[in-house]
Amino acid sequence: MSQSIPSFQRYQQAFTAHIRDPLNHPRPEGVPAERMAVYEEIVFNNLLESISACFPIARQVCGKRLWSTLAHAFLRDHSAGTPLFRKIPEEFLSYMANASPEVQQLLPPYLSSLCHYEWIELLVATMPAAETAFDPNGDLMAHQPVFTPTMQLLSYDYAVHRISRRNQPKEMANTRLLVYRNHAEDVKFMELNPVTYRLLELLQEIPPYTGKQALTLIAGELNHPEPEKIILFGGEILEELKSQGVILGSKLTHTVD
Amino acid sequence: MANISQIQGVGLGLKRELIPQIQALYGQKDIANINFVEIAPENWIDIGGKKAKQLDWFAERYPIVCHGLCLSLGGLSPLNIDFLRQVRNFLGRYRVPVYTEHLSYSTDAYKGQAGYLYDLLPIPFTEEAILYVAKRIRQTQDILGQRIGIENASFYVTAPISEMDELTFLKAVLEEADCLLHLDINNIYVNSVNFGFDPHAFLSGIPGERIVYSHVAGHFQQTPQLLVDTHGEDIIDPVWKLLEDAYQRFGTFPTLLERDNNIPPLNMLMNEVNKIAQIQQQQKLLTTSRLKA
Repeated sequence: MSQSIPSFQRYQQAFTAHIRDPLNHPRPEGVPAERMAVYEEIVFNNLLESISACFPIARQVCGKRLWSTLAHAFLRDHSAGTPLFRKIPEEFLSYMANASPEVQQLLPPYLSSLCHYEWIELLVATMPAAETAFDPNGDLMAHQPVFTPTMQLLSYDYAVHRISRRNQPKEMANTRLLVYRNHAEDVKFMELNPVTYRLLELLQEIPPYTGKQALTLIAGELNHPEPEKIILFGGEILEELKSQGVILGSKLTHTVD
Repeated sequence: MANISQIQGVGLGLKRELIPQIQALYGQKDIANINFVEIAPENWIDIGGKKAKQLDWFAERYPIVCHGLCLSLGGLSPLNIDFLRQVRNFLGRYRVPVYTEHLSYSTDAYKGQAGYLYDLLPIPFTEEAILYVAKRIRQTQDILGQRIGIENASFYVTAPISEMDELTFLKAVLEEADCLLHLDINNIYVNSVNFGFDPHAFLSGIPGERIVYSHVAGHFQQTPQLLVDTHGEDIIDPVWKLLEDAYQRFGTFPTLLERDNNIPPLNMLMNEVNKIAQIQQQQKLLTTSRLKA
């Protein structure tokens, strides 16, 4: 395939193919093994460090050997498309989603959920927060609540936030989490009950609902005999979320002079 | 407006561990010799949260230079134009007067796509490669609207297909692309050991008028014949000698200390920063006394 490209690029192809997959691609002719090994090591170690820093718990539950196997497979099989170092973990997630069956069968079933959960912390800590307009004193029931732009509403099939080397999930458990960055720029995690999750989900729909509209809908979905109670309860939740910096205020209502 | 003349004296590579220490000592004479700081755009582009606040803090107080790692000037895949536009916006926003990259590559064309390997790989020194790399440097300079500096990279393998030595290749690329030189003193030394040449002779062949600033750093000795450019150790004497030699040949130029691994506390690192300042001062005195004589 490569007859048409210059010889220096053919050499580069052989060089990089060997770094990615030394078992299947011999090093370029005339290159000493000891020197080539330096490149194999620095490229691999760099990737390994980068994913280990983002996924410390995944690394622990996998154990050193499986984690290293996975990192080698990532280098071998995945073409990373971003020059930004902090996005390497995201490349790793997309690699895991498409990993070959031989690799998949080595991994615990909850691993991709766990990795996603660990990556979210990096994402929320470093994502730029878009400027948003809101009324900090607005009525959250009468108007549409405005959420902090870093907020992530997440639903996992496993209790990812409880996983550790000693606590590996044996069964699935629907788990709803809210992750956001507060005023002090710290990343905060909250576990949500199904009703609160549903409320926040509705409030993010387009076009969005006011607090009261969303809660009325939920009361209907629940067939609740006393919808007022749901509305009262929901209003308290919205105020609580505001005091924690998840809700910034309400959408600005345009007044005509 | 960002101006290259803001970059003077001694700089320090801005690592995460050092940020709070510099912030705590800012304005005190202990760190007065830090005149500018260097960051990799790949770590800071499009960042938010605490890191964005840190970057704002530094941009208000220090001139910043950008030293890239992933542009892949010698790479197989097309230049990443989207990334270069991000770099351009970043340089503008933080008023960065200097952007430099390595004379190396960090991508392949794996499975027909640009695949990042996130490390610096050696370009074979061939005539075709000179033209190819120079063209990509010119393309970069066109997009950014400013000249860039290229750094002489450290490496561990010379391609058997190379047609010339490193110095010939470096000079030809500088000439062909008409760009600046980011002179890495430690890399000259590392390569001189790895490939057995005289580092001072290499230095004497450098086009000094193209130097925009320089790097010094420590490295790891894997064997007596193989040095690995880890930036994880103190600077050794032969590298200091090489820096002095460079100042004597070309006059002093801004010089930045790189420390990326095994990072000691800032007060220890300041010993090396201060030593660079001291060598620069000595050289200026020598030049003055020579002019008077």
